[in-house]
Amino acid sequence: MNPTGSALGYDAAPPISAPLRYFLSAPAFGVLGGLMLMLAPELLASRWTPGALALTHLITVGFLVMVMIGALFQVLPVVCGAAIPMARMVSGAVHVFMVGGTLALVTGLYTMQPPTLILAAALLGVALAIFLFSAMIGLAKVSAGTGSQRDMRLALIGLGVAVMVGLALVMTRAHGLPLPLFNLLQLHLGWALLGGAGVLLAATSWIIVPMFQITPPYPKLMTRFWAMSCTITLLLWSFAVYFEQHWLSVILLALVAGLAGVFLITTLITLTKTRRSKPDASFRVFRFGIWNLTLGLVCLLATYFSDAALLRIVAGVLILYGGFVSVIQGMLYKIVPFLAWLHLTQSGIKAPNVRLLQPEQRASAQLRAHGLAIATLVVAAASGNDWMIRLAGAVVVVEFAWLGANMVGVLSHYRRARHEAPARRHSHAV
Amino acid sequence: MTRQIDARGLEPPQPFELVMEGLADLAAGESLAVLLDRMPYPLFRILDRDGYRHSERIREDGVVEIEITAP
Repeated sequence: MNPTGSALGYDAAPPISAPLRYFLSAPAFGVLGGLMLMLAPELLASRWTPGALALTHLITVGFLVMVMIGALFQVLPVVCGAAIPMARMVSGAVHVFMVGGTLALVTGLYTMQPPTLILAAALLGVALAIFLFSAMIGLAKVSAGTGSQRDMRLALIGLGVAVMVGLALVMTRAHGLPLPLFNLLQLHLGWALLGGAGVLLAATSWIIVPMFQITPPYPKLMTRFWAMSCTITLLLWSFAVYFEQHWLSVILLALVAGLAGVFLITTLITLTKTRRSKPDASFRVFRFGIWNLTLGLVCLLATYFSDAALLRIVAGVLILYGGFVSVIQGMLYKIVPFLAWLHLTQSGIKAPNVRLLQPEQRASAQLRAHGLAIATLVVAAASGNDWMIRLAGAVVVVEFAWLGANMVGVLSHYRRARHEAPARRHSHAV
Repeated sequence: MTRQIDARGLEPPQPFELVMEGLADLAAGESLAVLLDRMPYPLFRILDRDGYRHSERIREDGVVEIEITAP
C-alpha cells in the first residue's frame, strides 16, 4: 500500500493562479513575436540577425518555457503527487523573474546590448533556480518514483544547462571571454531543444498522451530509458563539440537525432491506437505538431548535406512553431479546462462539463488560424518577401491573441461558476 | 458490501466524476473498489477532506486499485 493523506503532500494543492498566470501571459509573447515580424520583416534574412534571435527567444522562452513551467505547477501535484512548497509565492516570484527576464533577453538580443543581456541571464537564471529548487523539494517528498518524475528532473536540469550555456554565450560576447562562440551556440541549441524542451515534452507525453488522448501507455523501454539515454548522449556530444572532436560529435549527433526520431515515431504510432471515435481539436493539433517536429528533424539533418540557408530557417520554423508551439497548444486545450473543472470540484462546486468550459468549436477555429500561421511562416521564410513576412506576422498576432482569448474564456466560465455557486467547503482563491 | 467501479480508459475528468457519483451512493461504512489507470492524487485530497478512509496499490500490470470506505 502507498502512504496516504498528507504524507504525499497533495493536501497542499496549488491555487489555480499558480499555473494560470503563465498560461495567460504566454500568448502575449506570441503576439509580440507577430508584431516584430510585421514591423521588421528583414529580421528573417538569417537565423543570426539580432531580430531573428529576439523573435526566436520570444517564442521559445516567452511562450514555450513559460507554458511548460506553468504546466509543471499543476502536473507535479496532480500527476506525481509532488507539491511545490509555498506554490503561490514561488509561482508569483518565478513568473515575475520569467517575464522580466524574457523582456530583457529580447531587448538585449534585438539591441545587442551586453548589460541588458547579462540582466536577462541573471533574471532567467534566478527564475529557473527558484523553480528547480522548489520542484526538487516537491519531488523529493514523493515516495514512489516513476519514469516521468525522473525524466522531469532531467528536463529541468537540461533547461538549466541551456540557461548556463546561454549565460556563457552572453559573457563571451559582452566581455570577449576566450570561449568558442560557435561551439557554445551549438551546445545552447542542443540542450535547449532536446535536453530541456525535448525531454520535458517526452516526460509529460508519457503521462498526458495516454491520459488525455486515451491511448495505451508508451512502451516501457521508452519510458524507462529514452530520456536518460538522450541526456547521456547529449552530455557526451557536448564534450565532443567543446573539445572539437569533429567526427565523434557528428556520430553522437546522429545518435541524438536517432533518439529524437524514435520518440517521434513511437508517439505517432501510439496516437494511432487512440480509443477516441473522433479525434478532437487537441488530439489533431498534438499529432500535427509531432509530424512537424519529424519533418523539421529531417530538414535539420538535410542541412548537413546542403548549405542552403533556407533549409535551416524552414527547419527552425517547423520545429519551433509547427512542432513545439503546436503540441503545447494541444496540451493547453486539455490542461486549462481540466484545471478549472478540478478547482471547482475541489471547492465543492458543481463544475460545468469541460466541453462547456472550453467549447470545441472555439479551439478548432483558433487552431485553424495556427495552421495558417505555420503555412504563411514557411512560405514567408522560403520566399523572403517582406509583405509575405508581414502577412505571416499578422496571422501570428491573430492566432496568439485568439489563444489568449480562449484561455480567458475558460477563466471567465470558472469565475462565473464560483460566483453563482458559493463554495460548499474549503475554497481556493484565484 | 463493496461496490465496484472500473474507470479505466476514460478521459479526465470522467473517472473522477464516476467515482464522485459512486461516493454519493455510499452509505456509512460501505466501501467502493475503484480501478484506474493512474494514481488520482486530486481525488485523495477530496477523500481526506470529507473523512473517507482509503487505501491504494499499484498492480503488476500498472492498474491502480483503490478501496474507499464511507465515514
